[in-house]
Amino acid sequence: MSADILSFIIFLPAVVAVGLMLTTRDINTIRNIAFLTTTVILALVLKIYIEFEPTSGMQFVTNVPWIETYGINYYVGLDGFSLTILMMIAILIPTSYLLLWEGKTKGYWINMLLVQTGVTGAVLALDVVLFYFFWEVMLLPVFLLIGQYGFGNKVFTTIKVTVYTMVGSLLMFIAILYLGVSYHNEFGSWSFAYDKLMTITTIDYNTKVWLFLAFLAAFAIKIPIFPLHTWIMETYKNAPTGAVFLLSSIMAKLGVYAIVRFMIPIFPDIYVEFSTWFVAIGLFGLIYFGIAALMQDDIKRMFAYSSASHLSFISAGIFSLNSYGINGALYLIIAHAIATGALFLLVGLLQEQTGFKTIKDLGGIAKKAPIFTFIFAVMLFANIGLPGTNGFVSELLIIFGIYDFNHSLGYIAALTVIIGASYMLWMFQRAILQDRPEGSKELIMRDLKIKEIIGLIPWVILVFLMGLYPEIFINKFEPTVTHYLNDILHIGATK
Amino acid sequence: MNQFLYLIPTLIILVGAIVLMFMSMYKRFNVKNFIVVSSFFLIIALGFTLVNISTSYSVQPYPHFLNNVLTFDSFSNFFNIMLIAGTLLTLLIGEHYFQHRSYFKGEFFSLLLFALFGMMILAHSNELVTAYIALEIASFSVYIMVGYNSDDAKRVEAIFKYLVLGSFIGAFYLLGVVLIYGATTSTNLADILTFITNANSQDMVLIYIGFTLILFTFLFKIAAFPFQSWLLDVYRGAPMIITAYMASTFKIAIFSFFLRVILEYIAPIVDFWDGIISVIIILTLVFGTWLAITQQIVKRMLAASSIVHTGYLLLAFIALSYKDGHIINLASAYAIMFYLIAYLLSALGAFGLASHIISETNVKVTYDDFKGLAKQRPFLAAMMTIFLFSLAGIPSTIGFIGKFYVFTEAISAGYTTLTIVAIIATIVSVYYYFKLVAMMYFYPAKEECVSIEFNDKRVSTYAIAFVAILTILGGIGSAIVFFIPVMNIDTIINLTQLSVQSLFIK
Repeated sequence: MSADILSFIIFLPAVVAVGLMLTTRDINTIRNIAFLTTTVILALVLKIYIEFEPTSGMQFVTNVPWIETYGINYYVGLDGFSLTILMMIAILIPTSYLLLWEGKTKGYWINMLLVQTGVTGAVLALDVVLFYFFWEVMLLPVFLLIGQYGFGNKVFTTIKVTVYTMVGSLLMFIAILYLGVSYHNEFGSWSFAYDKLMTITTIDYNTKVWLFLAFLAAFAIKIPIFPLHTWIMETYKNAPTGAVFLLSSIMAKLGVYAIVRFMIPIFPDIYVEFSTWFVAIGLFGLIYFGIAALMQDDIKRMFAYSSASHLSFISAGIFSLNSYGINGALYLIIAHAIATGALFLLVGLLQEQTGFKTIKDLGGIAKKAPIFTFIFAVMLFANIGLPGTNGFVSELLIIFGIYDFNHSLGYIAALTVIIGASYMLWMFQRAILQDRPEGSKELIMRDLKIKEIIGLIPWVILVFLMGLYPEIFINKFEPTVTHYLNDILHIGATK
Repeated sequence: MNQFLYLIPTLIILVGAIVLMFMSMYKRFNVKNFIVVSSFFLIIALGFTLVNISTSYSVQPYPHFLNNVLTFDSFSNFFNIMLIAGTLLTLLIGEHYFQHRSYFKGEFFSLLLFALFGMMILAHSNELVTAYIALEIASFSVYIMVGYNSDDAKRVEAIFKYLVLGSFIGAFYLLGVVLIYGATTSTNLADILTFITNANSQDMVLIYIGFTLILFTFLFKIAAFPFQSWLLDVYRGAPMIITAYMASTFKIAIFSFFLRVILEYIAPIVDFWDGIISVIIILTLVFGTWLAITQQIVKRMLAASSIVHTGYLLLAFIALSYKDGHIINLASAYAIMFYLIAYLLSALGAFGLASHIISETNVKVTYDDFKGLAKQRPFLAAMMTIFLFSLAGIPSTIGFIGKFYVFTEAISAGYTTLTIVAIIATIVSVYYYFKLVAMMYFYPAKEECVSIEFNDKRVSTYAIAFVAILTILGGIGSAIVFFIPVMNIDTIINLTQLSVQSLFIK
């Protein structure tokens, strides 16, 4: 059992989903069992978190042949990076269930469960083909979610987002195959395990750059990194809350994770060579999306841009090649997942209740729903990076990292935080605090229910706990980062 | 007696075809009886082929009587399994369709088995004229089945187009055979191989021309560019279930013979056509993709996308090359066989399901007709989704493994650029396959389709479900999820390896 605990975590939701699909039609049963499944997974992940030894590399490894002819293994394992993301997924999903509780159909919950299998599998997979498998599979339930429960021109949106992400994935696929063939030509046997692919030496420089870009295409589209972001506005606007939450809080982070896990170790030299470019693109994206967010009137679109802006910041941190930057980026992944996840869910609630989508139509929420406003404010401040919240710690670390990497870029990074603060606070003032103009119709807005408050309290606690005592969390993944920089990339951790 | 054992499956099918022909003289048998009888023969034949599935052998039985024109080896046996299974599944999936079209009579099932008989002989033959006869037995049966309901003007167009063009291309084949005979004084491929290995380059001119003409026939039958134009109209005009049969089973039979010829008999000169084939691959992919995007009728879209799949298969063909007395890159031959299995399952499923849901109506099956299927018949919609995902090569289906296999081998043989073209075709294919999924799931049903009462508890549904399960199982393998090592992806790969290697048993 303990050896296969990861497989259990990966496949439990899918098995439950198939079981529910075939057996029952009762929405309450489905919802309760789905929620129970996610809490069981959360408990198991907590168990792993406690048992995890920060200093000892890959753990809980299962490595059994899947397609023996091509050396493709069912190879899953866990280190500091994956633990962080796994923890994030395990905490976010059950809580999101509580906020999405009302008025959903059977298909919605089943798709949510299937997504969990996909994302967990993608985080834990160490074989590139297995990773690709989960990476594609996790998209399909989201495809169905957007198309069935979305708004506006949802079919066009669905096809667009699918084809867009598929372009990246298939480019990555061909790069994966090329790597596999190169490994075969060099060593005479097939393997697609990432640690094996790292040992390839025969690929020449130009090919490597192309392969690197092919991998980057897949991940940059998911994250999204400027200029591959054009799918997100429409998608976030038209998609149902659950799908937006999954895309922005979980899948976007998986893109970042995949860069760290596969791309950088396999092509360290290319990465080092181009890192200045990527940090600069990341910072440019941060500014560009931030300014775009300022201009938005549709509240979901604004959050879409804000999310893209933060993710650009995360990628800039990852590409900055030192332990500050990478630790900060990992920390911001969690902080951002919590804050944005909560904000998207709260905005979804707001939209559902009032029926308005735009900032100018909203207003006076603070009086009607004080608890809602309080939690909204906490998440907002965490998102901006107010001292005392987790956002502050991570943004500070990333800025240190970028400063270390290149002083002038560091100054820019520090200044950009102001943009984030300005659009967020401006929106908060207009949509939540300020009363609506005289004579307009009364807004209908209820406050949070007990169930939703219970769901959000752990997040609020985490925001402050991670903001005030970062070391208990960072200690879990810092050894991995140090080892990663030293041994895998041969770059001194402190430079 | 021992040798006779190998002949049994083919003979059973022949006897079955004749029995059905006699049965159709009597009025008292209805369509259901015919389905039962033909399934009975098919199942017995399948049983006999499955006996030898994991043994490696190669015999040419009764040399005095058969003159070494037929080879019975693991390779042909494996193809026979696919062909018989494909026919059986076509029959079972089509059960619903057959019963709701008044024009299906007993002769139809007889023709189906005659077509299968021709295909099986084609898989066995190692002599050019025998192959031609087998190909024509199969082709003519299929021609008749395509034009089976002559009331429909489209159908008349389809059969006429197919018959004229098919016979025309058959003439090319015969011309090729004549030229080869002129050079080698034999039509037996084994003699031709001996000639090729010993000849100097001047003697080879006729051989090259002859095999190029034969290659044209091959390209025509599998609908590669520039011979793809017949496909859309023929597939459109034929009865839906026959389209399924042609797209999956018939295509496999064509590949069986040409794969044998290339691997076993003309291996030394196989690289001669690499240039022309790579152009053909690119154009096939481009044209197929372009045709597929522009279609409004689902059947035509699936037909056009089958051209794209032909392109993928040719990609594995080009990866075969010859060096130092043997074929290198033999793995791409395995890839072809694996891809054929994958395509058999997914195409049969997709076409068959489309025929199943329109059995009781007379709609054209445009994209619009699929609207709201997920609400009305969620399980059928889920299965259609599985087949479309498999055709698009989404992981967790057998189509993904097939693509993985073919593309890996193509890259391994150094055709990276062609593989990138194929990947681009795949990206576009995501669009037209997902469009259909979107139709099923994201739109309310059209009004005229809502009122139809469905009874899903019938053979067709179970047969489709069986194919869907195989499609998933072939993509995931049983080793990971269920921890049963039997029905794994490796098992299939090993079977393809075994059968290809039996070609080289001397």
